[in-house]
Amino acid sequence: MRWRPLLFRLAVHGFGSAVLAALLLPILAVVPASLNYGSFISLPPETWSTRWYGRFFADREWLTSLVTSFQVAAIATVVSVVFGTAAALGLIRVGRRLRAALTGLILAPLIVPVIVTAVALYYTSRSWGLTGTVTGLAMAHVLMCLPFVVLNVGVSLGGLDPNWIRAAEGLGASPARVFMTVTLPTILPGLFGGAVFSLMTSFDEVVMSIFLAGIQAKTLPVKMWEVVRLEFTPILSVASTLLIGLTVVMFVLFRLAAARTAAGTETRP
Amino acid sequence: MTARGQSVRFAGISRSFGPVRALLTTDLEVSAGEFLTLLGPSGSGKTTLLNIAAGYLEPDTGRVLIGGRDVTDLPPRRRNIGMVFQNYALFPHLSVWENVAYGLRARGVPSAELERRTGAALELVQLAGYGGRAIRQLSGGQQQRVALARALVIEPDVLLMDEPLGALDRQLRQQVQLEIRRLHHAHGRTTIYVTHDQEEALVMSDRIAIMREGRIAQVGGGEELYLRPRRAFVAGFLGESNLLRGTVTATRDGRAVIAVPGLDRPIEGIAADGLAVGGTAAALVRPECVRLTHAPGASLTGQLVERVYLGELVALRLRLPNGLIILCRCLARDGVRGGDMWGVAWEPGDVRILPDDAPPEASTKIVGQ
Amino acid sequence: MLTAAASRRLVTGALLVPTVAFLAVAFVVPVGILLKLSLTEPAGPLSTYADILGSWVYTRVFRNTIVLGLMVTAIAVLLGYPTAYMLTRLKGFALTLAVYGVLFPLWISVLIRTFAWILLLEKHGPVNRMLVGTGILDAPAAFLFSNTGVLIGMVHVLLPYAILPIYANMLRIDSRLMLASDGLGASPWRTFRRVYLPLSMPGVGTGAVFVFLLSLGFFITPALLGGANNMTVAMLIENLVNDRLAWPLAAAASFLLLAAVLALLAVTARFVKLDTALEAR
Repeated sequence: MRWRPLLFRLAVHGFGSAVLAALLLPILAVVPASLNYGSFISLPPETWSTRWYGRFFADREWLTSLVTSFQVAAIATVVSVVFGTAAALGLIRVGRRLRAALTGLILAPLIVPVIVTAVALYYTSRSWGLTGTVTGLAMAHVLMCLPFVVLNVGVSLGGLDPNWIRAAEGLGASPARVFMTVTLPTILPGLFGGAVFSLMTSFDEVVMSIFLAGIQAKTLPVKMWEVVRLEFTPILSVASTLLIGLTVVMFVLFRLAAARTAAGTETRP
Repeated sequence: MTARGQSVRFAGISRSFGPVRALLTTDLEVSAGEFLTLLGPSGSGKTTLLNIAAGYLEPDTGRVLIGGRDVTDLPPRRRNIGMVFQNYALFPHLSVWENVAYGLRARGVPSAELERRTGAALELVQLAGYGGRAIRQLSGGQQQRVALARALVIEPDVLLMDEPLGALDRQLRQQVQLEIRRLHHAHGRTTIYVTHDQEEALVMSDRIAIMREGRIAQVGGGEELYLRPRRAFVAGFLGESNLLRGTVTATRDGRAVIAVPGLDRPIEGIAADGLAVGGTAAALVRPECVRLTHAPGASLTGQLVERVYLGELVALRLRLPNGLIILCRCLARDGVRGGDMWGVAWEPGDVRILPDDAPPEASTKIVGQ
Repeated sequence: MLTAAASRRLVTGALLVPTVAFLAVAFVVPVGILLKLSLTEPAGPLSTYADILGSWVYTRVFRNTIVLGLMVTAIAVLLGYPTAYMLTRLKGFALTLAVYGVLFPLWISVLIRTFAWILLLEKHGPVNRMLVGTGILDAPAAFLFSNTGVLIGMVHVLLPYAILPIYANMLRIDSRLMLASDGLGASPWRTFRRVYLPLSMPGVGTGAVFVFLLSLGFFITPALLGGANNMTVAMLIENLVNDRLAWPLAAAASFLLLAAVLALLAVTARFVKLDTALEAR
């Protein structure tokens, strides 16, 4: 009599596992692809080799794009973290309606299709002289990074008991000391998570970058986009694999920060 | 005990939140070293007053003076206060030691003195040796003591406590009440304590301010408030009481007589201030002042409806002919048992006639409701 | 000296102004300028919109995009529902692993995920070789530059957005309701159809709306995996800007797309919790 639920469970878990596998495994196809010897990608490689990694790091253009990506991501992250943290701290100090309106404004760049934002920014930044600059690109990325910083810091602020602030004030701490000793330690995991997410969002951003990069400020994804439309060389897989490696590191860091945030919000009575 | 705190004076303090008048114009003086409790139901304005003392809230009108110094416009950090919160508000990311040392670090106390004072504060609350613990490793009672040590270590001019025992279970609460009392004798600092628990207020306080609907109904020692309440609300709030409502028919020589509907006998007692002939009033008779006699010959009889054995006492409920319930407490060994109808009596000196401002639910209930 | 309330307001302002000012300059103003561009053609304020809506070529792109989006949404929900259900049955390490399995792909660049599918779906790639090798297909299929390729790629990219809201919703379903239904003599199928499915519909709705919304603006995946016949609105906009330099038309197409997104959001606002879906990452 028990075989029907068992069969059902088997079917559900089989199907679910297959879907999860289909989510993860295709991404990994780029890893063996990067280890091809020949100029054309075959999967699995006929001859295994790391020579395209050498090519990647010897190629000025690829390297420049990697450096540009780091520059843009660094600026976008710093700006997003500073502005976003301040905004998250400000949002809990205003009334409900203003908070809803401002949250809507901050989230808007995630709701408006990115192609629309990209075209709008491309059109205006041409007249402002910001196309093809690292600054212009970073500012565009901030639009996508900022919401995640605000959300992440907002979540960890939920674990901040307003009485901690009042207690610290009552004990004689100046506003700066209250921030450094009470607020900052509480929101640090959220801030860190937001920073990691910003870094990755900026590093991965393609659509706005395609429009805004110009010749001067090609990020790694822009360079990949240009190459992938022309040819499928193993060097693309190399770039992809490197980016996946970076993503794995960032993902782990983010999960650690998220675990800290969860622990922080639980300690509150 | 030597007073080491400062006096606190509230002069003409009031505060509204939007349309809600949380605190009507209030004056109150707390002398140096005194333990004063603000006692009242929720929404009575007691926490508002405490937060105004601490500087977490600004009053709409009036001034706050600590030790004669006007602190109304000073932020909390400049007031030298020690605050204990209901949920303790201990910093979860800091150790016990760092929590207690927090105020000293904020004041830039030199490290040798900081070590000494933090250690002494932990010793005072009997938590020496717990400095390295994380807050979450402590029990509720221990956390409460850390909060107290953190507030006391800065040698505050006034110690403010906002229902600090609310999170503890009943047994622990009674223990900590005595502990707080002991500590107050040891540190001698002016303390303003907020609670809605009358027993807590009676155990700990030098004086109690009973608050209601944004104003102080009466201030005095526990005994004074219990024995000589000035309003029916105070009598109903503190301890158990029989409040017989009626109309004042006469006042003379500090005594008053009221007519209670349904009772053929007027009730006479000591008159409180603010009574007028023809006005409404309530006669207060504490349950322990009610005497039961054998029914025949009594001028007022009641039917015994409930008898609860409490150990040394028995609590009785009797229904008067007009339906009013009278509470009575007497020593168990005096043996009120058996029998259905009892004479109900009291000494006129045990009755107080009070202006009636109590909501009906706080006083004696009418059967059948 | 400032009163406490005034200085508090000052601090609040100082915290919020940088972000608001930044968003105004870097987002609201550019979008506004683009909107103005779409409305200020010599031929009349709405002429660009009339051009797009009156053209068979352009409306076909919009129709394609919507049809593609609906197909992606349907497939993502059908795949996502049982997967989300499986997640609710997992515990401990297996659960953590499975949830990360859903979350991690979201972190990988869309470009890489799409590129990976190019490698897999190539004429002589692993997928074709497997299908031919096992006899399912006689000859390699042309997945790339076709609707199939775009569908596969987009479902792969958007599937987590379907799974996560459905999973979050299923977690809130009280399992005692199923026991109650069982106890009342309902068959498992009936219990599912009459109790579990209706209770899990809000999650399905959120997931579906989310996937559909994102699919409407999709650019990278259709541009790389699709052919000329699979043009989406985003590709059209890019084309108008970069190849034809038809800025006003591109602007009008952008705002038609945005209008569709906002309209859908407005209609579904009651049951779609956008921020919960965003926080899922």
